[in-house]
Amino acid sequence: MTTHVDARSGYQYKTGTNRLGLWLFILSDAFVFGGLLVSRFYLLGRTRPDLSQLLGLIVTSILLLSSFFMNRAETAIRFGDKKGFLNGTLLTITLGTLFLIGVVGVEWQIAPFSAGENAAASIFYTMTGFHAFHVLTGVILLVIVYRKGRKGLYSAERHWAVEAAAIYWHFVDVVWVFFYPALYLMGRIAS
Amino acid sequence: MEEKANEKKLELFQLGLVVFAILAVLTIGEYFIGVIAIDWTWPLWGIALLKAALIVRDYMHLPRLLSQDEEDHS
Repeated sequence: MTTHVDARSGYQYKTGTNRLGLWLFILSDAFVFGGLLVSRFYLLGRTRPDLSQLLGLIVTSILLLSSFFMNRAETAIRFGDKKGFLNGTLLTITLGTLFLIGVVGVEWQIAPFSAGENAAASIFYTMTGFHAFHVLTGVILLVIVYRKGRKGLYSAERHWAVEAAAIYWHFVDVVWVFFYPALYLMGRIAS
Repeated sequence: MEEKANEKKLELFQLGLVVFAILAVLTIGEYFIGVIAIDWTWPLWGIALLKAALIVRDYMHLPRLLSQDEEDHS
């Protein structure tokens, strides 16, 4: 009994420490994205790249919806609902992939400029590319979590990996919350 | 006990849904601001900050970082 309690409190302690480490990582990553955001305003000021605002709204909605399902998946596993967790995670993976297709597969192809054409083009590809790489990383993490979840490795008591993947995924969403208006909505189209 | 846990789970699902609904409304709102009023930069920043705060608090569960209890379902 004592060993069981010790193991549990040990796991709790470890999770608390892991959580702190993850948030420190997220804070440091946020500075990189902050730097890109500052660069955008330094280079473009009150102008923006010539992009499809409707497509911007669509991909943003997809990412927000993915966050909703990720939150649902994490909540489900916290209460031992493995089916709900797997369904939510799978939907998040699907929506994350759709977001990637929307930005890299569609927006990059229809954008009326190439990467080295001007400052607007350059910052657009840097910001969306760096963010897309994070989304891809998140999708890969979620696939790993999903596969492990299918094997029954997570429970209501032990699911730190799920929480970590969820926090990372929501962070990627938070970054886009700022990138979306900065790239698609603020200012006149740069000539 | 199990019934109580189910109630709590449902409550958290509902909270997630409410947060998503607010985020969706704010996103549509900022889209129209961006399309109609080109120079309204500050309201767009305000909306972005509000959306980020909601995600960080309710989806990323920042309060858990300060919590001592692993089973605190905040």
